[in-house]
Amino acid sequence: MKKLLVVLTAVVFGGQMYGQTYNTFEPSKTQFMLRGYGHTGFEYMDSGDETESTFLGSAFAPIFLYKHSDRLMFEAELEFVLESDELETGLEYADVMYVLNKNMTVRAGKFLLPFGTFMERLHPAWINRLPNAPLGYGHDGIAPSSGIGVELRGAFDLGGPKLNYSVYSTNGPRIKDGSEEPEEAGILEFENYEDTNLAKAYGGRLGLLPFPDSSTEIGFSAYSTSGTGEEDSEYEDIGAFLFALDFSFVKQISAIGGIVDVKSQFNNSNVDTATFIETHEDGDEEEYSFDNQSNSFYGQLSYRPTMSGNKFIKNLEFVARYSDFKAPEGAEWEEKSTQYAFGLNYWLSWRSVVKLSYQTTETEGGHDGDGLTNTDGLFVHWAIGF
Amino acid sequence: MKIMNKIVIGVILVTTIGATVVSCSSTKKGYSDIPDSETVVAEEGFKLEKSGAQLWGETCNRCHIAPSPADYNDTDWETISLHMRIRANLTEHESKKIEEFLKSAN
Ligand code: HEC
Repeated sequence: MKKLLVVLTAVVFGGQMYGQTYNTFEPSKTQFMLRGYGHTGFEYMDSGDETESTFLGSAFAPIFLYKHSDRLMFEAELEFVLESDELETGLEYADVMYVLNKNMTVRAGKFLLPFGTFMERLHPAWINRLPNAPLGYGHDGIAPSSGIGVELRGAFDLGGPKLNYSVYSTNGPRIKDGSEEPEEAGILEFENYEDTNLAKAYGGRLGLLPFPDSSTEIGFSAYSTSGTGEEDSEYEDIGAFLFALDFSFVKQISAIGGIVDVKSQFNNSNVDTATFIETHEDGDEEEYSFDNQSNSFYGQLSYRPTMSGNKFIKNLEFVARYSDFKAPEGAEWEEKSTQYAFGLNYWLSWRSVVKLSYQTTETEGGHDGDGLTNTDGLFVHWAIGF
Repeated sequence: MKIMNKIVIGVILVTTIGATVVSCSSTKKGYSDIPDSETVVAEEGFKLEKSGAQLWGETCNRCHIAPSPADYNDTDWETISLHMRIRANLTEHESKKIEEFLKSAN
């Protein structure tokens, strides 16, 4: 017994001493960090004749950051999500970055696109103030979220105001010609990894922070390509031009005892008119075309009573968001939707939040039919970053 | 759309060339040189320079809630500062001042 104690003491103290010597080492020049986030939740949806409820499979997104020097860095994010009975995996981004000079950095690889700010800066579950994205983003969204290519970005100090820019070229989107999913003919698909034509997409964003306190930012983004169809196909020369306007205002205002956060983005997508084929039930084929213009908008207001003396109230957050989405008239996916979302959040730490939200959505058309549907949803989500 | 595509490519070229020219010509002492308070005051007229703490409060809250200095150690802050400088498109000055503050206050 005594021997065992001696051995144990030796191991414990020896370990500590080893740990201490280890800690006095100079920090290494290169550094590797494993970060990321996860989220899980519960949803209840009621669309009049149909109700459903489900616990949501959790999502786990590890992020790898490797800093080689003060100028060279690599970032990558993997994504694991349980969705409709399957484990979906994804590589959100994987890019290498090099600081060329104080106003310019080059990035190459798969990166989140600065088309507006929602996808690049605000969509991670621990940043987004509501459990889901506004209308117009995500699956079948009209805003591109990532691309494979190269980008130059940087910022300028204008002695108070600040200006930031980003310009990039990527493989670009592919148009769905309807041969596989006739009901989606004309939709631009951004999630493809290989280019099927010579036309690349070109785009960029200019952001201006007009006030020295950095509270306000307005941004303009554009994204364009001269061809979205496969080489030598009838859609090869169908081009597209998209633009976005974004606005952000974040400031602690003493008069109302907390931080006000306003975020907003408008997206517009304009694809050249093309002819698609509709097959009727009797087998007849009919050509049709439509003016392929879509747009979406969201505006979000949130407030955190950070100056309250009460610890519980201090961590609360109130959110309201309006969003709408319009898909082209005459398309099989023609749609007009509006959504109001309200939320109450409790922040356990700067990267961990429990969100409670009620949302009501009115959809006219869409994939599921022509009629008008009203869907009410109740969400409880828990997101944590690490 | 062909015209829009040409315009976008044109604007990209102008921005790239413009940014390169400005960033190369305005670098007086080379890269990663944080101007000391005197030069900043001289450059920005009579305005006093903001402290790293103030910049942290204003900047790091814009997208997510700002982390506290104690959340990470110095080496981590170096990686995070470079990551955020690029991801959030911050100016070198902002990001260096904030990094200094975070490393001094953790
Ligand atoms: C323009 C928006 C924006 C601003 C401003 C911003 N961040 Fe971030 N930050 C992000 C995003 C987006 C992520 C998530 C990165 C990801 O998950 O891909 C993030 C992640 C982080 C992380 C997690 C680790 C990492 O590097 O991914 C830390 C720590 C962090 N930010 C600190 C800061 C600090 C300190 C500041 C102020 C200098 C700051 N952020 C300013 C957008 C921003």
